[in-house]
Amino acid sequence: MAIEFFIGILIAVIIALVAVVVVYINRIVILGNRIDNSWSQIDVQLKKRADLVPNLVETVKGYAKHEKSVFEAVTNARSEWMKASTPREKAKAGNVLAGALKSVFAVAENYPQLKASENFQMLQEELSGIEGKIAYARQFYNDSILTYNNIVTTIPGMWFAALIGRTQKQSYLEIKETERQPVAVKF
Amino acid sequence: MGQVSFHDEISKNNRNSALMAVLVFVVLVVLAYVIGLVYDPSIAFLFIMAGGAIAIFQILNAYYNGDKIVLSTTGAIPADEKKYMHLHNVVDGLAIAAGIPKPKVYVIDSTEMNAFATGRDPQHSSIAVTTGLLNTLNRSELEGVIGHEMSHIQNNDIRFAMFIAVLVGLIAIVSYIFLRSFRFGSGNDRKNGGAIFIIIGLVLAIVAPIIVRLIQLAISRQREYLADASGAALTRYPDGLASALEKIGKTNKGNMNVSEGVSHIFFVDPVYTFIDKITSTHPPIQDRVKRLRAM
Repeated sequence: MAIEFFIGILIAVIIALVAVVVVYINRIVILGNRIDNSWSQIDVQLKKRADLVPNLVETVKGYAKHEKSVFEAVTNARSEWMKASTPREKAKAGNVLAGALKSVFAVAENYPQLKASENFQMLQEELSGIEGKIAYARQFYNDSILTYNNIVTTIPGMWFAALIGRTQKQSYLEIKETERQPVAVKF
Repeated sequence: MGQVSFHDEISKNNRNSALMAVLVFVVLVVLAYVIGLVYDPSIAFLFIMAGGAIAIFQILNAYYNGDKIVLSTTGAIPADEKKYMHLHNVVDGLAIAAGIPKPKVYVIDSTEMNAFATGRDPQHSSIAVTTGLLNTLNRSELEGVIGHEMSHIQNNDIRFAMFIAVLVGLIAIVSYIFLRSFRFGSGNDRKNGGAIFIIIGLVLAIVAPIIVRLIQLAISRQREYLADASGAALTRYPDGLASALEKIGKTNKGNMNVSEGVSHIFFVDPVYTFIDKITSTHPPIQDRVKRLRAM
């Protein structure tokens, strides 16, 4: 009688332990996947921004032919971005492109007709929307990493992470404070 | 981190929604049973079955079409992608920040400044804002308001709030039917029935709105503070939301053309009524601003 009782408790404890392991491992895997997924969110927005560049250059050229250096800078930044392959390179090239775009909009300030053009205003809104989305996507990426790091570096999560070889702490993307501001220049 | 309370909030909301569904089911079945007893006790069980079927239909309808009902009663229309590009951009950005799919975007033609979110879960959600809000707020203020609504979606506040809004309407309809059946009901064998119906009708007409009001009160205030806080955590800029609230407090007249039954889903109280002075569904705007400024 006593032995059966003991075995019963033992089985219950084992089941509970297995359940805890399964829950934790699933959580670690899900959180890890979320990091990958949130990186692709950033990537999508960076790509959208790069796709808008030729259009923007064409529009601005129509009004401001002589600003060659600005167009070159932004076109170069775009092709650098296209060449980048790792997330870190892409993020870096993306920052350069953001800076180049800023100077395009700064130049546009000197051309009232350009600023008044509907096409330009649409592009400006679209780009500042994308800048906002990139900032939020980065924020979510970093949040995902924070949640992941919290679980794989604290007890008991770190034990389960070690079980499936996921001890690596992921590193954050830097967000410069100036990037939180949209590229749009005041009218 | 806030992660734990976040999940608590979601499961609390889901539990409340389920309780609400059960409550409505029970009330409708009991009502049907009473009607059955009055008409013919020998077939009362048929009434129970019919009542149960109607209740299930209504609950499923509230669950699957509640967002459409709420959107159409508030006069919200889909926001054009081109015309309201910056609104779409802001909603898209905050959906990314919250890690949920982009909600559908609607606008309400009103000079009052307000907004709401509705839907059954983050995968089926909508955000509506008034044109007055769009015309008055700058980008960071608009982001503050949308961030607030986005966190309602993230916490699944929207499902419970939608349930209440739709089922309030249902109770109003049922009590109306009871009162009508009394007025036009005549004949000898329905005399007793008439008396019972008027009692049920009156009770529903008087008590139900009070109960609903109490539920609205119980859930709303705390929820708004919470959504302010987690909305600010999404935008990382509490001052945007604070300044939006200040503008709204100065501008709004509280004369939006919406029923009291849906007032609790709005960002700020859409209609200032006498009863609001005592029991508002929304916390005072100055209080919300103060908390945000202190963050």
